[in-house]
Amino acid sequence: METFSQSIVSGILTGSLYAMIGVGLTVIFGVMRIINMAHGDMVMFGMYGAFLSIAFLKIDPFLSIVIWIPLAFFVGVFIYRFLLKNIVPAGELNTLLYTAGLSLFIANFVLLVATGDYRTIKLKYAIMPLRPFGIAVPIPLAIAFGMAILITIALYWFLVRTDTGRAIRATSQEPEAAALMGVNVDRMAIITFALGTALACGAGVLLAPSLYLYPTVGEILVAKCFVIVVLGGLGSVPGAIAGGLLLGVVESLGAVYISVPYKDAIGFVIFLLVLLFRPSGLFGVGKS
Amino acid sequence: MKKIVIALAILLLFTAPWIVSSPFFVHLMIMVLMWAVLGASWNILGGFTGQVSFGHATFLGAGAYTTMILYLKLGIAPWYGIPIGGLVAALIALPIGFICFRLRGPYFALSTLAVAEIIRLVALNWESLTNGPVGLLITTLPDVTFWGRSIDWENKIPFYYIIAVIALAAIVATYIMSRTRLGAYSLAIREDIDSAEAIGINTVQTRVAALSLSAFFAGVAGGFYAMYLRYVDPDAVFSIALSVEMVFIAVVGGLTTVAGPLIGAIVLVTFGETFRQILLVGHLILYGLAMMLAIRYMPEGIWGKLRLWFGARD
Repeated sequence: METFSQSIVSGILTGSLYAMIGVGLTVIFGVMRIINMAHGDMVMFGMYGAFLSIAFLKIDPFLSIVIWIPLAFFVGVFIYRFLLKNIVPAGELNTLLYTAGLSLFIANFVLLVATGDYRTIKLKYAIMPLRPFGIAVPIPLAIAFGMAILITIALYWFLVRTDTGRAIRATSQEPEAAALMGVNVDRMAIITFALGTALACGAGVLLAPSLYLYPTVGEILVAKCFVIVVLGGLGSVPGAIAGGLLLGVVESLGAVYISVPYKDAIGFVIFLLVLLFRPSGLFGVGKS
Repeated sequence: MKKIVIALAILLLFTAPWIVSSPFFVHLMIMVLMWAVLGASWNILGGFTGQVSFGHATFLGAGAYTTMILYLKLGIAPWYGIPIGGLVAALIALPIGFICFRLRGPYFALSTLAVAEIIRLVALNWESLTNGPVGLLITTLPDVTFWGRSIDWENKIPFYYIIAVIALAAIVATYIMSRTRLGAYSLAIREDIDSAEAIGINTVQTRVAALSLSAFFAGVAGGFYAMYLRYVDPDAVFSIALSVEMVFIAVVGGLTTVAGPLIGAIVLVTFGETFRQILLVGHLILYGLAMMLAIRYMPEGIWGKLRLWFGARD
């Protein structure tokens, strides 16, 4: 029973970060119909950002998020404006191939600059885990969990309560109707892409103290991210949150009760089953 | 004119190692031809039927492991192992095709990525068969006599001729496909799958057939890869990066064309390997860049663009 609750808790902790990455991908898909293969590399950027903060600027990685999220927002604006904008009308498959190229470019650029060494971030306060109710909770993961929840709530509030958020959701539901109602669809696309990029990068900063970082880490993360958004239904924000938590829990239960080496495979098997039998996602809210 | 060019190209293909015989150059040409086979393999599916697969490393890996395991455990010479590897890859493609082709467009692409990752994890963990992450290693290749002379496997030139024959076969297969019903059905599917269905084309069967043919060549190239490097491990032959490289070579060279993948491999692999000689890591940066430029400025690929310029019909 203790192992069970332990794995549920650690699953939810990791899952909250998966959810944050997934939300980024799903809002981008919703508005622009782009499946962004380079999304994992934005997470990788965040991880290296956290690493640079502590190694050179001596800033705690969790505090450094206030630098990296706005920066990633501008990187997102730049990428969309100068790289993606002209590709999007060429269709889903072309953008898929294009972003795959972008992903390879970014990952190998970082490989050239930072070498392929595995790096870790060591925090002074991260040595002993917290033990509420006898369940071990690593401190960095707990902080990351808290911040991920705050950021996700803030995003949700933005999407539901603000005018820009409403315009984004309208564009996602029906771009032509939204344009007719006076929504600047192009501007919404830029904002959404930048927002998705910022979320991925922020999740990277939060994940960095709990994972190894290396330039091609994005490859694995983006694959997981697809699992999450397909589980929740492509284009659905609540779906991505649920999908992220679900994947986190399934992985950690799988590692305990099935096998550690196959824990990553479980996610992909579920992914295939959902794609085949419930293509609009487990909760039936996505559009396929 | 066209026949003369083709005859010259084939002559050049088989005399190249005698013209320039430095080991690096022979190695480079072997890599170019191997990637041309992989690009051609991807083109058979991605170019003709328009189905983007991000999981072709599965077939490469299946071929590589089959050849390796047959040789190490059963003593079957790679001479037979390489084509058997191709057949195994083609067989594996059948269930994958029947499952994944229920999905369309980007969803198909994502499902192939998932299948490839599952198979990589299986290869990583099925230690009794694949030796897990340690990989399989062979030290010597069996003696083969060819026209009364025994072949020196320490030299790269025999490998060059093997891959040259395989590359020629892949290109000829693409040409034949483009001239037969399978090719025509595939193009119809690429243009509009619903219309193709409506005029009575069995779209699932056609796509599975194309995938299987494509997987055969990827498997053969995989078997060759294993014998040439004499080593396989799951991350070397089943990685997502390998699948993506195949896509890039086919797209940059020119989809749906017969010679496109060869051109793509010549350009990308030459630049990539030269880059690797200088900087060791990160040569894929060029692939990424080339891919972005290709999609943006010439989605028909290098060969497709050249054909447009010369106004050639075929």
